[in-house]
Formats: sequence, C-alpha cells, structure tokens
Amino acid sequence: MKGDKMGMHKEKIDFECVREGQKCIDLSIPANPEYVSIVRLTASVIANNIGFDFEEIEDIKVAVSEACNNVVVHSKRENNFDIRFISESEKIGVVVKDNGNGFDLADYTSPDLKNPSDHGLGIFVIKSLMDRVEVNSSKENGTEIKMYKNLL
Amino acid sequence: MSLSIEKQYHQDKDLWTVKITGEVDIYTSDEMKETLNEMVEEKKSEIQIDCRELSYIDSSGLGVLIGILKKLKEENKNLVVVNARSNILKLLSITGLDKVFIVKENQNEG
Repeated sequence: MKGDKMGMHKEKIDFECVREGQKCIDLSIPANPEYVSIVRLTASVIANNIGFDFEEIEDIKVAVSEACNNVVVHSKRENNFDIRFISESEKIGVVVKDNGNGFDLADYTSPDLKNPSDHGLGIFVIKSLMDRVEVNSSKENGTEIKMYKNLL
Repeated sequence: MSLSIEKQYHQDKDLWTVKITGEVDIYTSDEMKETLNEMVEEKKSEIQIDCRELSYIDSSGLGVLIGILKKLKEENKNLVVVNARSNILKLLSITGLDKVFIVKENQNEG
C-alpha cells in the first residue's frame, strides 16, 4: 500500500486534476461551525474576481456554506476538511470534501411543504442555486460535493 | 462576523417584534434559536422578524425558524418575515418557505 507511510497524517485528499486555464485556491479548515464563515468570505472574493454580480455572489456564498454545513454536521469536530475553489475565466467550481462517514443520499429529497423540516434543505438549496452539482457519499470515502456556476 | 438580536413584546397587539442584524449561519444560528425559544416560552404570540439588516441566512437559520413556527402553530400563531432583502427572499422562495411563513415587504418599524 503506497499511502501507508503517510499513516500518521490525515489521509491526503486528491482533488480532480486541474486543467489549463484553471486556477486553484485550496483551504483546509476545522469541521467546526465557527470556521464556515472563512470559506464564505473566500468564496465571495473569488466569485467577485471572476466577475459574478452581487446576486450571483450571494447564491455562491449560500451554496458553499450549505456544503460546509453538511460536513460540519457529519464529521468529527477535531478533523479538518478541504475546500478547493477552481477559478476559470467564466466559471467557478467549488469542491468540498471530507473524510466523514458519508450520509444517505436517499434521505435528501425536495422539501415537503406540508410538513416542513429543518433537515435536508441544504443539498436542495445547493442544487437550486448552482448550475451543476455532483454529490458523492460513501462510508469508505466520506462525502464530496462538487458545484459549478457559469458567468452569464 | 456578528449577529445581534433585538426583541420587544407589544402587549397591545400581542406581538413580538424581533430585529436581526448581521449573519445567521451554522455558527450563529444557535444564538438566534436561544433567543427565539426564550421568547416563545415567555409568551406564545405571533413573531414578526424584521430582516432589513439581516445580510445572510442559510438552511441552519431557516431550520431554526421552522422549529419556532412549529411551536407557534400549537397556539395557532404565525411567524412573519418582513423587509427581507432580495437574496433572502430568493432563498425563501426556493425552499417554499415563503408559503410556510408569512412574508411581507416594506413594513415600517414598530
């Protein structure tokens, strides 16, 4: 096993390869509620630099925070988790990845208005605000939420 | 990032007014939950939340509001959101919560 020498450290997270024209900004923050605002502020600056307008920046901030909230709820607080921002000329990508125990995607459906719940809104909100969203979750590999928004 | 909450009970209207200033996220939502719960325990009256100075809220904050509404509904009372900014109105609309809470625009203070 190649990775065994790294055993003392948190397992290295491999993000997808970066293509030409993409710039990456990586963050690693504790899975603790008080640090989520750091990710939100970073998202706001990067989206602004790409040229997104105020409303789009607000959408990106909410979507990114929801993904982080999801990690914070499902991870142990002593662990860090990773966020990669992919900045392109007319597009932002954000990948939020943890080493938690995953969650059951089947639990996440559209909100039931007759019986509003405070659970499961996050993923639904991300999918509503971003142009493309991929969620992969498993007990073995944790959860990865990838989201993209294009500049109109 | 900070959050401040000003609450006031109006006896003549049997109404709570709350002014939320700042950001409600997964970190600060507990503070909002505590304040709103205290209010509901003191008096289960309609709550009107002035969001003019609320710059950010996400599902953790909306979840708190849903929890409070459930308690208010036991007494057939409502939760009213007033003066929400466009980004927050959008979130309420996406989640369908604009039909669960009463959402009013352009309300004067008091």
